[in-house]
Amino acid sequence: MFDNVPLLLHGFEIALSWHHVALMIGGVLLGILVGVLPGLGAPNGVTLLLPLTFSMDPVSAIILLTSMYWGALFGGSTTSILFNIPGEPSSVATTFDGHPMAKNGQATEALTYAFMSAGFGAMVGVIVITLLSSAVADFALKFSSPEFFAVYLLAFASFVGLGGGNPFKTIVSLTLGLAFATVGQDTISGSLRLTFGFDELLRGISFLVAVIGLFGLGELVLTMEEGLRFNAVASRISPKKVFQTIAKMPRYWFALLRGSLIGVWMGVTPGGPTAASFMSYGVARRFSRRSANFGKGEPEGVVAPETADHAAGSSAMLPMLALGIPGSATAAVMLGGLMIWGLTPGPTLFVERPDFVWGLIASMYLGNVVAVVLVLATVPLFAAILRIPFAVVAPLIVSVCFIGVWTVASAEFDLWLVLAFGVIGYLFKKLEYPIAPLVLAMVLGDKAEDAFRQSMLMSGGSLGVFFSNPLVGTLTAIALILLAWPIVAMFLGRRRAGVAAVPAHAERSPS
Amino acid sequence: MSAEDRTIVSRFTMEVAAALGAAAIGALVIYGANEHSIGWGDAGPEPGYVPFWLGLIIVGASLAVLVQTLVQRVGAGDSFITREQGKRIAAFAIPVALFVPVSLFLGLYVATAIYLLATTTLQGRFPLVKAIPIAIGAPVVMFVLFERWFQTPLLKGPLEAALGLY
Repeated sequence: MFDNVPLLLHGFEIALSWHHVALMIGGVLLGILVGVLPGLGAPNGVTLLLPLTFSMDPVSAIILLTSMYWGALFGGSTTSILFNIPGEPSSVATTFDGHPMAKNGQATEALTYAFMSAGFGAMVGVIVITLLSSAVADFALKFSSPEFFAVYLLAFASFVGLGGGNPFKTIVSLTLGLAFATVGQDTISGSLRLTFGFDELLRGISFLVAVIGLFGLGELVLTMEEGLRFNAVASRISPKKVFQTIAKMPRYWFALLRGSLIGVWMGVTPGGPTAASFMSYGVARRFSRRSANFGKGEPEGVVAPETADHAAGSSAMLPMLALGIPGSATAAVMLGGLMIWGLTPGPTLFVERPDFVWGLIASMYLGNVVAVVLVLATVPLFAAILRIPFAVVAPLIVSVCFIGVWTVASAEFDLWLVLAFGVIGYLFKKLEYPIAPLVLAMVLGDKAEDAFRQSMLMSGGSLGVFFSNPLVGTLTAIALILLAWPIVAMFLGRRRAGVAAVPAHAERSPS
Repeated sequence: MSAEDRTIVSRFTMEVAAALGAAAIGALVIYGANEHSIGWGDAGPEPGYVPFWLGLIIVGASLAVLVQTLVQRVGAGDSFITREQGKRIAAFAIPVALFVPVSLFLGLYVATAIYLLATTTLQGRFPLVKAIPIAIGAPVVMFVLFERWFQTPLLKGPLEAALGLY
C-alpha cells in the first residue's frame, strides 16, 4: 500500500509547477462560478471547458478540469447556505441546516463548517484513492474482455438496483443512452448504424452535446419555471469567526468520520455525491444527540452532508482511474475527456502514464486546499454575482451553452441536437427519470459493446464465457442480482422505505 | 384557485406521453437496427444485434412504465405544469429555440448579441443604456477569448465577413 509514496511524491513535483498551480486556481475559481450559478452545474461546466483542453497536455487538462469540479462542489454550498438555493443537486441537503444558521446570523460559521468539513471529506477520499487505486488497478490488469464487460454490466446494474426511484425508468434512461452510443460507424464491422441516411449522424451523437442539453438547458428551463427568487442573508465574512469555528471542528469528529465513510462508499459505487449527502444527513439526524435541533440551524446538519458530498466527489475518481468506470456524471464526462486526449482509461493507465495518474492524485490534495482557501476568500464576490438579475445571467448561460456545443465539433447539426437534449433533460427531471445513467451509458456504451463482442469472439458465441472463471462469474452474478433486486425488493414489500427515495427528490430541485 | 395556478397538463398525461415517446424511440432503434444483420454470426453478434436488443428493452421498459402509470393512476390530479409556469417556460424557451436558426444565418456572435438584447430589454425590462453594452460586450469578450486566446473559431456570418474578421 505504501509503495505508492514515491510515486505520489513524484506526482507532487508535477502538480507543484507554477503552470499547474495557476491552472488549479483558475479552475477552482471557474468552478465556484459554475457552482454558484443555478442552471450551471459541475457536469455541464466541465463539459463546456472540455473542448478547450483538446490541445492541452493531458496532465494540465485533467488538473484544470478536476479543480473546476472541486470549485463547483464548494460553490454549490455557498448558495445553499446564503440563498437557500442549492447551486448543485448534491448541496440540497446543506440547505436544511445551513440556511437556518445563516438566517440566525451565523452565516460565517455555517460557511466555515461547510467548507472545512467538505475539505476534510475530500481529503479522506483522496487518501483512499492514494492507498487503494494502484492495488485496484493491479487487480484489474488481470481483466480481459469478459471481465471488463462484467464490470460495465455491474456499473449499469447498480443504477437499477441501488439507484432508488422507479427501476423501469432507470432502465429506459440507461438503454436510451446505450442506443445513442451505437449511432454512427460501428467500431468492429465498420457498418453505419442508426444513421437513417443522415450524414450528420455519421460521427455519432456526442455525449458532450447531450450533457450540455440535459444538464444545462434542461435545468435552466426548470429554474425559470420555478420563478427564481434570491433572498440573500448578509454575506460578510469575519476572519475571527472563521478561526473560532475551525477551532470547534474537532467536536464533530464522529460526524466527519461517518460522513466520509458514507461518501467514499457512495463515490466508489456509482451512487454519487447527491445520494451520499442525503444519506449522511439522514443518518446524522437519526442518530445525533441533538437530533431535535436538526432543521433549525444545527452545525452537525451542515457538517454531515458536506463531508459526504465531497468524499463522494473525490472518491468517484477511484473507479474512473483504476477501472475506467466513472462514479458520477461529472467523472463520466472526464472519462470521455481522457479518451479524447488519447489516453485509455482503466488499469493500463497506471503502467503507461504514471505521471498522469500521480500528477492528478497529487493535484487533488493541492486542489482541495486551494479550493477551501479560495472559496472562503471569495464568498462576498460570488454573493455579489448572485445579485445580478437572473434576466441577464440566464441568457448569458444560454449563450455559453451554445458556444460550448459549437466548440465540441463545429457542427451546425449539434446546435439542433442540444435543443432536443434540453427538452429530454427537462422532461426527465420533472418525471423523475434519472439522467446520470443516460450520460454514463453514452460514455461507456461503445466500450461495453466492444467488450461484449470481443468476449463473444473469444468464446465462439457462448454466453458461458461470463461464468468461465470465479472472478468474472462473481462479477456477472452480482450484476444480475442487482438487476433483479427491485423485483425481489418489491416482493419483500420494502421498496418504498429507506433512503432510496430521497435522491429522487434531489433530482427535481433546481441546481 | 386563480387562473394562473390552473393546471394546463396533468402529471398523468405527461407520464403517459413520455412513456409512449420513449417506446417510439425504441421502435425507431429496432427499425434502424434491422437495416443490418441482427443475428448471431460465426464471429458472435452481428452489427445490428446490440441495437436491436437495446430497442426491444427500451420498448419493454417504457411499456412497463406505461402500464404502471395506467394501473396505479400515477400523477392523476397532480399538476405537471400550471399556466403561470407555462408562460415562464415559453418566455424562456422560445428565444432559446430561435437562437439556433438565427445563429446559423448570422453566426454565433451576432446571434448572441440579438438574443441578449431581446431578452434583457423585453423580459428583464432593462433600459437600453444598460442592455446595449451587455449585448455588445458579451460577444466581444467571447471573440477575444475564443478566436484569440483559445484559437477556436466559432461560427461566423455575413457581418464578420463584411468586417473581414476571419
